[in-house]
Amino acid sequence: MSNGIPLAEALARYRPDAELGALPELTDADTLLNAHHPDHLRGSVVKLVVGANAGENCQRELANLLQSEAFIDEADLAGTPVTDIDVLVIGGGGAGCAAALMAAEKGARVLLATKLRLGDSNTVMAEGGIQAAIEPDDSVQRHIQDTLRGGHHAGDPALVSAMAGDGPEVLRWLIRQGMQFEQTPSGDLHTRRAGGMSTARLVHCRDYTGLEMMRVLREAVIQHRSIEVWEQSPAVELLSNETGQKCVGAVLTSLLDGQLRIVRTRSVILATGGLGRLHLNGFPTSNHLGATGDGLVLAYRIGARLRELDSFQYHPTGLLHPTHLAGKLVTEGVRAAGALLVNGVGHRFIDELLPRDIVCSAILRECAEGRGIRIDDQRVGVWLDTPRLERANPGLLEKQFPNLMTRTRVSGIDPRIEPLLVHPTLHYQNGGAVIDANGATTVPGLYAVGEVAGGIHGRNRIMGNALLEIISFGRRAGIAATANRDRGPKKVTLEHVNRLRRALTLADMPLTRRAPQVLPDYAAGGVWNR
Amino acid sequence: MSTSTNEGKQPDVTLTINGLAVKANEGMTLVEAAWHAGVPRVTSVGCMEGVCGSCRVMLRRGKEVTVDLACQTFVENDIEVVFLPPASAPRHHYEIDDFKDGWDIHARFHDIFPEASRCRHCHGCDNACPKGITVENGVALADAGRYREAGEAFFECIMCELCDVACPELIAPAHVGLFSRRITAHFHLRPPNLIHRLEELRQERQGATLKESDEE
Ligand SMILES: Cc1cc2nc3c(=O)[nH]c(=O)nc-3n(C[C@H](O)[C@H](O)[C@H](O)COP(=O)(O)OP(=O)(O)OC[C@H]3O[C@@H](n4cnc5c(N)ncnc54)[C@H](O)[C@@H]3O)c2cc1C
Ligand code: SF4
Ligand code: SF4
Ligand code: FES
Repeated sequence: MSNGIPLAEALARYRPDAELGALPELTDADTLLNAHHPDHLRGSVVKLVVGANAGENCQRELANLLQSEAFIDEADLAGTPVTDIDVLVIGGGGAGCAAALMAAEKGARVLLATKLRLGDSNTVMAEGGIQAAIEPDDSVQRHIQDTLRGGHHAGDPALVSAMAGDGPEVLRWLIRQGMQFEQTPSGDLHTRRAGGMSTARLVHCRDYTGLEMMRVLREAVIQHRSIEVWEQSPAVELLSNETGQKCVGAVLTSLLDGQLRIVRTRSVILATGGLGRLHLNGFPTSNHLGATGDGLVLAYRIGARLRELDSFQYHPTGLLHPTHLAGKLVTEGVRAAGALLVNGVGHRFIDELLPRDIVCSAILRECAEGRGIRIDDQRVGVWLDTPRLERANPGLLEKQFPNLMTRTRVSGIDPRIEPLLVHPTLHYQNGGAVIDANGATTVPGLYAVGEVAGGIHGRNRIMGNALLEIISFGRRAGIAATANRDRGPKKVTLEHVNRLRRALTLADMPLTRRAPQVLPDYAAGGVWNR
Repeated sequence: MSTSTNEGKQPDVTLTINGLAVKANEGMTLVEAAWHAGVPRVTSVGCMEGVCGSCRVMLRRGKEVTVDLACQTFVENDIEVVFLPPASAPRHHYEIDDFKDGWDIHARFHDIFPEASRCRHCHGCDNACPKGITVENGVALADAGRYREAGEAFFECIMCELCDVACPELIAPAHVGLFSRRITAHFHLRPPNLIHRLEELRQERQGATLKESDEE
């Protein structure tokens, strides 16, 4: 990818008031997606050989992890301390906290175990907002339609209508927990229209929606009498009953001292988030350090069905520069507020508010066809024209996007004066564990909520639906998991691990690779010793 | 826009991280430098963009000691960096659902955070805050019952709790800030558009149940 317009030349040519020319019409979105979306890269998809999805498509690097050996075997369990609890929540992002709070409210004793710090998550980084149909011209029905259409009709209508129907109640619950939102002068919740929405539906707290949500839920969880929190405690395996058919607990390790712990429970709620830090297809990512797809690996090994394993969201506007922010997002809210995308020859090339997969493919097309702006051989991008936005609305960037301004200020960039150089970044896992409206997976005793679950966003997520999903299904699973009045496990085993190992052996697959990943290699630094 | 890149450069900055001498490239953050050098046990990292509050470090430049976020601080020659252990559990406890009435919030606040009235205006919290929040003033506003304004002061708070560590009176300013924000939403955020939609949905549900019982 050494073609493109050199940065200095493109910068010299750039004017915030230049004529951009007519927007070329998008005649065939499918052809654009097939030619340029990373999901369609040659060789990036393989067929799974073992497990509940055998024979189905899966992204290649993810397939390697799903079809791998566990870290733990029976010998490790002997003498390991055991904790008994009603509900175990794995993952301390928004989904995990919502589930824990609801389970506790329903009377369960809850243990929330999380890999890093409580609240260190993708949730805290969400900027744009959360969807809920609350405006007079909007309806739950329209929200459902937009979500299904945005997902190319691959989503499960039952899950989508459960989520959209919960929207207004989710906002009320969040406000009750103490979350603030942007208001209009008359006190209404302020809404924006963003990509893929037929009307304004995005509720937000300036561009810190996820931070506001996370710090409130984190505080609520810490303060709650019935919730115990274990930080730096990743789950490295689930536990099953004697037949390997039911989930009855998990094995946790400690990043601080490596000590293993067994947790026995009636219900496990997986809320481990996404997998951007696997850097699929070599892309940079917007995700936090802990997003290594662990939940998918654990769920698959115990026999849960997964879905849309070949479909990922690449956010169109990841920063390309400076290096230490590479892959980090410029929220879609900036485009929703009117910022345009401009290529190296000074033209607009796509309607900026089309669904993300289409905008992303269009940017990759500009870069591939030599109309990108080139920093060096590896890095080519397009402009996000923030100075033009600032010209049209003086003060808007500072007022509505303080997060963006703070981050760029640290790096000595002023988006009011210089356009931002952007390139698609690995952002979201569209699919995940198959669940029902309670968040229950196909394995009894195991729930999955949030980004680790699938079925809502089909093959493409529209902005603001993830934050809604995590609270809607987090709450549902918290309630359902507490209602599970099983006696609790008699015996905890690794029967499911043995089962997958047998299947791998029969299929002549290597047993050398171990998963879950837990931390990206570049961050492991000797702590997490396999 | 500066176009300098680090790729291919020789490491040219020397510093210590958690007691180990390491080399780094100019322009690296302290997190990148720690990983680059393979410093063990650096897992208090998350977002790498200054919003999660995990990467708390103590910095020593000569005699001067400060705290900051490792993902927002760039390497310098001879700086000593220590990644701080996770913050300990908070000592102030409340559950927001226990508050029944907005009128007695101020009394409840003083029960929960009795130390807040004893601020000695030492600026320790302000100096510690990596986000430039006027923490001391925020505490004073809360202590005066001005929760909305106090909460607003903490708007960019990322829960790093460095101010809590700095406070000699154990006031826990970060939690005072969150209390102020939560109380404001819990008691005062009553948006008409949301409330109207909730009511419409309630009536729809009621209609649906009535219809069901008609049909039986
Ligand atoms: C930069 C960014 C911006 C975004 N903006 C928006 C937006 O504006 N609107 C929107 O709707 N969505 C947005 N999203 C998507 C949304 O934030 C996430 O999909 C959602 O928050 C996921 O929530 P979660 O609780 O499922 O996962 P997370 O919030 O990622 O939490 C998962 C937790 O599980 C922990 N964990 C992982 N593995 C293990 C393990 N093995 N054991 C124990 N714990 C583990 C992690 O450390 C983490 O704490 C954005 C995402 C990013 C990255
Ligand atoms: S107010 Fe305290 S907790 Fe919040 S960012 Fe500043 S130092 Fe951190
Ligand atoms: S550190 Fe504590 S005592 Fe000092 S000014 Fe801040 S709140 Fe007051
Ligand atoms: S890693 Fe999140 S604030 Fe530094």
